[in-house]
Amino acid sequence: MADPVIQMTDVTVVHSRAPGVPLVTGVDWRVEEGECWVVTGLQGSGKTALIETAAGLHPYPVGEVQVFGQRVHGTEGEGVEEVRKRVGVVFDGHGRLFGSQTVLENVALPLCYHRNHALEEVADEVMGLLKVLGLEALAGQAAGRLGRAWAHRVALARALVQRPGLLLVDNPLTGMDPYHARWWRGFLGRLMVGHPDLGGTPMTLVLATDDPRGLLGLGRKFAVTHAGRWRCMGDRQEFERCEDPELRELLHDED
Amino acid sequence: MDPVVRVFVGGVDTARRIGAFTLISLGVLATKFGKSPRVIRPLVQQQILRAGVNVLPIVCFLGIALGVVIVGQTVLLLMQVGQEKLMGPLLVTVVVRELAPLTAALVVLARVGTAAVTELGTLRAVGEVEALEALGIDPIHYLVVPRLIGFTVSIVCLTVYMILFALVAGYVVAFLQGLSMGPAAFFRVIADGLSWVDFPLLALKTVAFGILTSQIICYHGLAEPLRLEDLGRATTRTVAHTLVASLLVDAVFLPVYLLI
Repeated sequence: MADPVIQMTDVTVVHSRAPGVPLVTGVDWRVEEGECWVVTGLQGSGKTALIETAAGLHPYPVGEVQVFGQRVHGTEGEGVEEVRKRVGVVFDGHGRLFGSQTVLENVALPLCYHRNHALEEVADEVMGLLKVLGLEALAGQAAGRLGRAWAHRVALARALVQRPGLLLVDNPLTGMDPYHARWWRGFLGRLMVGHPDLGGTPMTLVLATDDPRGLLGLGRKFAVTHAGRWRCMGDRQEFERCEDPELRELLHDED
Repeated sequence: MDPVVRVFVGGVDTARRIGAFTLISLGVLATKFGKSPRVIRPLVQQQILRAGVNVLPIVCFLGIALGVVIVGQTVLLLMQVGQEKLMGPLLVTVVVRELAPLTAALVVLARVGTAAVTELGTLRAVGEVEALEALGIDPIHYLVVPRLIGFTVSIVCLTVYMILFALVAGYVVAFLQGLSMGPAAFFRVIADGLSWVDFPLLALKTVAFGILTSQIICYHGLAEPLRLEDLGRATTRTVAHTLVASLLVDAVFLPVYLLI
């Protein structure tokens, strides 16, 4: 049987800037290949830290995290570096793009670094990817000048350029206008079943969001971080049927 | 705890952290020396341009000023008291061994170092360092190694330029004020004052200044989690720590020079 894509065992997720502050405790989580998880919770409940821990960017004081069967603990090393190449991360907000570089340079950087190529040698490949994401017109623009929606899309391109097996996306729809929100849902849906222009291999997705309503149609499994606890909710029906009043507030915004 | 003891303990702790950071950086430099040269080499060239080529005019100016103020006056004073034979050892000690390397390092710190702390600290504060890690790119290799090599090469080269400009300017000033010595004779006196050990020691000292300056800058910019409002304090600490560390390194070389 193949290793799970992510296996967390009794993990305590801590704040990235305050490693002594636990945000979520007792995380037991198993993500299988091809699944699409939606992790939701109120702002500040630890979703971003959880995503970054799963990506091997944060150390954690308790438990064990394995990604593609390799233990990760926010530490460097050849093994961790190889795992990171198989994991795409799209950060929240402007996607933590390198503001002084152009869109093309941002997306090409991982390819240039890992293959030891000059920008010109990977430009065609990167432009092909930018075209798939509708970004070819922005290739020469400085990433720091992009609006949030476009910057987030460039961050997605950068995360996809190494053809990862696992894509972690933090708040894909937050602050998006209807046009961009629709584009994201459509694109993520195609990635889940295997985007024909990106090799056609189904991708494992983990989407963190503070408003799960826009992703209900996309998610196959749901989990919640709330009040320092971790709860796997099952599929959409189970998630929507949940009677916990605090969790109901995530799904309904009536007074 | 006594304030003096507290400052001392804090200083030792900071030195220990910077030392550990430096060892990690040197380890990454050694283990990833040949990795991705087509990405890293342009970054090294960029650092040499910033910390070396762009700083050259101010180093030339300071070298000339040093020559006019120190070398010119020293030569004339020695002539007045009939001690021309001391000219070589004195200028070698003051200019070559002490002032030029220290001044070059401090100019790089002032001209480029403070900006580099802000640049690195901003990358850390806005999360771009984590973005590099997420892409499988070692931030030490991508951000620190180019500065380590670039600053070290720059300080070594700038020291040589500063020595040359100081001695030439000093000779011109002394000549204009009546020094009865041709340029060849003047530089022969300087050469006689140099020992063969001066060359490796000068190289060692300037390399030490380069490593130290770059590592203190990178440590304060990258090693600790920063918020944007912390950048000013990090820059101030960088300047203070580099000054103290440079003077301590300078002091380490003192007994060696006394033995020559």
